Amino acid sequence: MKRREILTALLMAPAGFVGYRVLAASSRAPQVELTIATDGDLLAFKPTELACPTGAHVRLTFLHTGKYIRQEHDWVLTVPGATQAVAKAGLEAGESAGYLPHADRRVLAATPLCGKGEQVSVEFIAPAPGTYPYMCSYPGHDTFMRGTLTVTPR
Amino acid sequence: MKSYRSLVSLLLITFALGGIQGACAANPKAPELVHTALRILASVYADMDAKLANQQFDRLPHENQEFQDGSGAMRDAIANEPADFKTSVLSTLEATLAAAQHVADSSKSHDAAQVKSAIDALAASMHSLNALFPEALRAEPGSVPAPQHGGPGAH
Repeated sequence: MKRREILTALLMAPAGFVGYRVLAASSRAPQVELTIATDGDLLAFKPTELACPTGAHVRLTFLHTGKYIRQEHDWVLTVPGATQAVAKAGLEAGESAGYLPHADRRVLAATPLCGKGEQVSVEFIAPAPGTYPYMCSYPGHDTFMRGTLTVTPR
Repeated sequence: MKSYRSLVSLLLITFALGGIQGACAANPKAPELVHTALRILASVYADMDAKLANQQFDRLPHENQEFQDGSGAMRDAIANEPADFKTSVLSTLEATLAAAQHVADSSKSHDAAQVKSAIDALAASMHSLNALFPEALRAEPGSVPAPQHGGPGAH
């Protein structure tokens, strides 16, 4: 019986080691809080540049600081070169889909749409180092509401 | 006779200067709010113009609604101005809102030339509204250009 326990322990050791590493890596991943807002009622993000380290567990909060105009906004992070195509696909997806294509691999992270005075958030793991565009997917807003997330190496 | 003419000239100059002063409001009490209000309207105008360029006529009534909503910023911005100036701004603003409504109405035709004409009329009305304020506070239609593809975030 003892031999069996020892053998089991020996066999499980590598798995346990892997599990530990995953947990350790997870606990080492920096937690990053990012905040972004609309520029009041203007069709613009504030700020237009964000940054975080690769692999970070990012929690982004988006505030719609508009006061007058009943318009909705969201914050959508895409792979490089995809903003226009994603915006177009969002327009085709329509209002019921929140103007965002469902399960689109070009979309890295996205908040739900929100109205004036509201705030929404999204959590995601920062992708590989590089510069990623973000935009508002509400029809027409992608032309004006743009910015970039710079993901730095760790 | 000569002194009578001088008196009339002096009165005319006085009235003219008074009118200009009333219409210009060199120093609005809330300049930041005025500037923001004009920027909001210019921003919505730019969005309207982009919709015309993309032939998205069906979206123009929505833009008009945003324009009407955005006018609230101007009403708040001039809330504490002298009555004469406030009346002047509000009447010009009403004309601008009517021009924006006309853009929405003409969009139903899906006729690009007709919509462009309505948007040009809106721009002219917005110029009149801007002219009521000092140059430093103005945000003329067309001053908020749509970012060109390849600009920030256009990767």
